[in-house]
Amino acid sequence: MKAIPNRRRTAIKLMAPLVALGLIAAACGSDSDDDSSSTEAVSTDGEIVTTEATAMDGPTIRLRGQDFSESITIAEVYGQFLQAKGYDVEIQTPAGFRTEAIASIENGDVDLIVDYIGGSLTALVPDAPTSADPDEIVALIGPAYEEIGATLLTYSSAVDGDAFIVRGDSEANTISDVAGLDYVFGGAAACFEREQCFIGYTSPDVYNITFADTVTLEFGPLLGEALLAEEVDAVQWNTTAPQIIANGFKVLEDDLGLHPAQNIAPIVNSEVLAAYGAELSADLDELSALITTADLVAWNTETDIELRESDAVATEWLESKGLL
Amino acid sequence: MPVGQNQLPAQVAVPRDIGFFEWFFDAGTWTDKGGILDSLWETVLLCSVVILVAVVISVPIAALLAHFGKAEVSTTWLVSISRAVPTFAIAALLVPWSLRRGWGFEPWPIFIALLLLALVPIYLNTYTAIRQVPEDSVDAARALGHSETSILAKVELALGASVVMSGIRVAAIQVVATEPIRAFLGGDGLGRYIRDGFGQSNNTLVLGGMVLIGGLAALTGLVFVLMERIMLPTGVRRLARQQGDTDK
Repeated sequence: MKAIPNRRRTAIKLMAPLVALGLIAAACGSDSDDDSSSTEAVSTDGEIVTTEATAMDGPTIRLRGQDFSESITIAEVYGQFLQAKGYDVEIQTPAGFRTEAIASIENGDVDLIVDYIGGSLTALVPDAPTSADPDEIVALIGPAYEEIGATLLTYSSAVDGDAFIVRGDSEANTISDVAGLDYVFGGAAACFEREQCFIGYTSPDVYNITFADTVTLEFGPLLGEALLAEEVDAVQWNTTAPQIIANGFKVLEDDLGLHPAQNIAPIVNSEVLAAYGAELSADLDELSALITTADLVAWNTETDIELRESDAVATEWLESKGLL
Repeated sequence: MPVGQNQLPAQVAVPRDIGFFEWFFDAGTWTDKGGILDSLWETVLLCSVVILVAVVISVPIAALLAHFGKAEVSTTWLVSISRAVPTFAIAALLVPWSLRRGWGFEPWPIFIALLLLALVPIYLNTYTAIRQVPEDSVDAARALGHSETSILAKVELALGASVVMSGIRVAAIQVVATEPIRAFLGGDGLGRYIRDGFGQSNNTLVLGGMVLIGGLAALTGLVFVLMERIMLPTGVRRLARQQGDTDK
């Protein structure tokens, strides 16, 4: 009989860590409970605010930028604009790139993305010929987006296109000029398998350039750093990179028309669009028509060179246009 | 068609839907410019130099400090805390610095970052190895007329050799497994398959990179175990077993 209390004590000792673990688990559990209840609150809010006069009647529009500063600012501009118009908008934390953006609109994780039409074409209809004419591209990607339950709205005149960039002292003015210069070429990994990028530059049927060497770099400021440090002589970047002006780089003319048109265009979940009727597409078209390539460059300069926050840059621009 | 002059990196031509085995067992995958053999050589070369330099720096400093019992807390703390900074962050911060000095992408940023990674286990294991040598052995050696340096080299380091070696082994495996970040910072090496695979949505390349890097790390561990077998005298190894060499 004496042994029992002892054994019980041992049992209690053994239980102690389990109890502690249970408490931690409970604490964590209540945390996530809070989370879910708060999201529920948001969605109920969305239904409640429909009674207000200014609010729009319809589902929450979830939008998400791709994970680079220009796309983040564009998402903020569209999101804050719609919020000001009275739509229930949720601007999500930027994540991934085009692949993730298209996947998220296809499986219903987000309702609005803003993409570059030429990029969309490569992702959705990889075998289709690219074009420097935005309307030709829209004719191809419009139906492709319909297939995944999304609607492509009118594209903006703002273009963030591919750019073949060299240092300011380069003797080349067109991409064709580079053929005899024995340049070292730098680009992101994706460039090296794309027809409109490295394959097009080196193909005998297009530019037929022979590069002395190639360097694979992360897409972004590292490309500019590499060009500036003369580690490479040419990089594949985009026309709105603020470092082009800051460092005196030169964008070579795409004299053979290899680069596809890259106007930005909003893509909306078709059900969400239908729920709001013609008003949502009219509002988005109004905004798209106002954004120019110069705006994109200005935003990128503010976020990447002056290191300002994307949401503040977006707010300031919308205010300057009288949209907030 | 000037294909001969324009030697493209091997990964350029890898189609997205190629099967893993089809890719992996293709001769060109291994022997082309920028292929697996080139990448493997780049990785092995860098890792070897890093480990060599780390040993040359860490072992003498740790041995001396441990022998004389000086600056124990401060150095050990300093070495351990340096491990808290992610290697990728160190390397990524060093790249613009190196570029602006005209030193290029390689080798300094990745070398320094990996060196800081490798110093830690070698330093800590050497320190522990010296400290755990029985006082009696050291006193006996001292009584026999050994000088302090002679005690350090012939008694303490000799008896702690297996612990020092396992520190070097751990460092080598960590360095090999971490070196692929170099591919994301303007370099190549085996990490190129991960980088290109992600960049081109090519899972075969990502899988290939994982297999190659994991395989090399495992092989590195094996090589060091064999080196310990060959280099350490039987007595020292038996001693290490008796002391319960847990650092494996």
